[in-house]
Amino acid sequence: MINLIFFTILGLALFGSFIFIALQGSPKSLPDSSAVQAVTEIINLEGSSFANARRLLDDTDYQALCSNPDLRRLALRLRNDRRQLALTWISSLQNDLIRLWRFRRFLIQRGVSSSMSEELRTLQALLLSLVLLSFIRLSIRAAGPFALPRATRQAGQLVDSMSAGAALVLGRTPAAGWAEIERSWVKSAA
Amino acid sequence: MFASEVICVTAIVLEVCMLLLLLRRGLWRTYTFLFVYAIWLLIGNSAIFATFLYFPTVYPSLYWNIDSIDVVLRFVVIWEVFHQTFPKRSGLNKSLSKGLGIIALSLLIFACGTFLIYQNYTGPRSIHLALDRSFGFVQALMILGTLVTARYYGVRCGRNIRGIALAFGAWVSISTATNAMADLSSSFISYWYYLRPLSFVVMIAVWIWALWVYEPNPPIMESEAIDLNRWTQDWNRTISTARTIIRP
Repeated sequence: MINLIFFTILGLALFGSFIFIALQGSPKSLPDSSAVQAVTEIINLEGSSFANARRLLDDTDYQALCSNPDLRRLALRLRNDRRQLALTWISSLQNDLIRLWRFRRFLIQRGVSSSMSEELRTLQALLLSLVLLSFIRLSIRAAGPFALPRATRQAGQLVDSMSAGAALVLGRTPAAGWAEIERSWVKSAA
Repeated sequence: MFASEVICVTAIVLEVCMLLLLLRRGLWRTYTFLFVYAIWLLIGNSAIFATFLYFPTVYPSLYWNIDSIDVVLRFVVIWEVFHQTFPKRSGLNKSLSKGLGIIALSLLIFACGTFLIYQNYTGPRSIHLALDRSFGFVQALMILGTLVTARYYGVRCGRNIRGIALAFGAWVSISTATNAMADLSSSFISYWYYLRPLSFVVMIAVWIWALWVYEPNPPIMESEAIDLNRWTQDWNRTISTARTIIRP
């Protein structure tokens, strides 16, 4: 009896697992690392190449200055400077996103294969990322650069994921043609 | 009775379609084991159907004997899925084949054990049901294990193998559960008579869908030996540094 109950339960559990895997769909393909490299070489990504976001959003200096009443004014200046820098960085990230999206459109226009669902997903990701970056910009304007440090630091990842999407499309073309794509892209961007 | 005949004929028609698909597109060269299994299914099910129509007295014994042979031949499908997912010359096959072989052997011993310790056989049907569910359960685990291992290592499965593996796995697992339920409660037998062949028909239909477009597994991209050596050296250096930190 226990044997039968065991097989009934486990059989159903296994069936559920197969249905779950089937519904999940096949795992997303990762772009070739050389394609990712090529995308960053073809497109000049100013925002995502900025490596000191952690330092920019770290409020240790500001707190240290604030602790001394004589240095409050200096602290305020530092805060304003950091705010300006953070805002510039966020707008660079927004420009990067739009540039990557344009590059992707450029590749598909040149005949690289893509599906309607993939295009819609990309568009959705772009819009959500832009909305999120606008929200971060707003929060920096309203509450300063140190208010949402974690969310702001992770903003760079939005560009990285968009970049991976563009690399995935670029990876569908032979590597030998990438130099020609770069030339055409520079020409069209000029 | 009419419904059983319809299901049986549908299964045979679908099997013929699958064989034609494999032959027409030359897929049988790529999926040879599956092709052999498909031939077996067509022969076995045609024999069952012919006996059902013309020799009803021998039908039950023939049905169960063919089903028992089928239990063994199903391993051919598992082998097809495994060797397509982890090709023989791939590094993953070299690394995993020994461990997975031991697991497969342990599962087979488990299947034999669960079949032999089940003593309450009420008749020949129960013996076959026990055989079917013991091995069906193990086969479902093997297929699931292959798919999970592939996903873990980021090996992508094409539409063909993915469809074959998922449909086969779902069918053997539902077959295991329904077989156990049929033995657990005799009132379930009447449902079992329809549920099992119906799920089989669904599996064949999914196989046809999976094979409709030739989409094999993408080749596994392997790094150059120089890169691998460098990574091994880096990894060994990291381990020795970590050991030094832990035990200075």
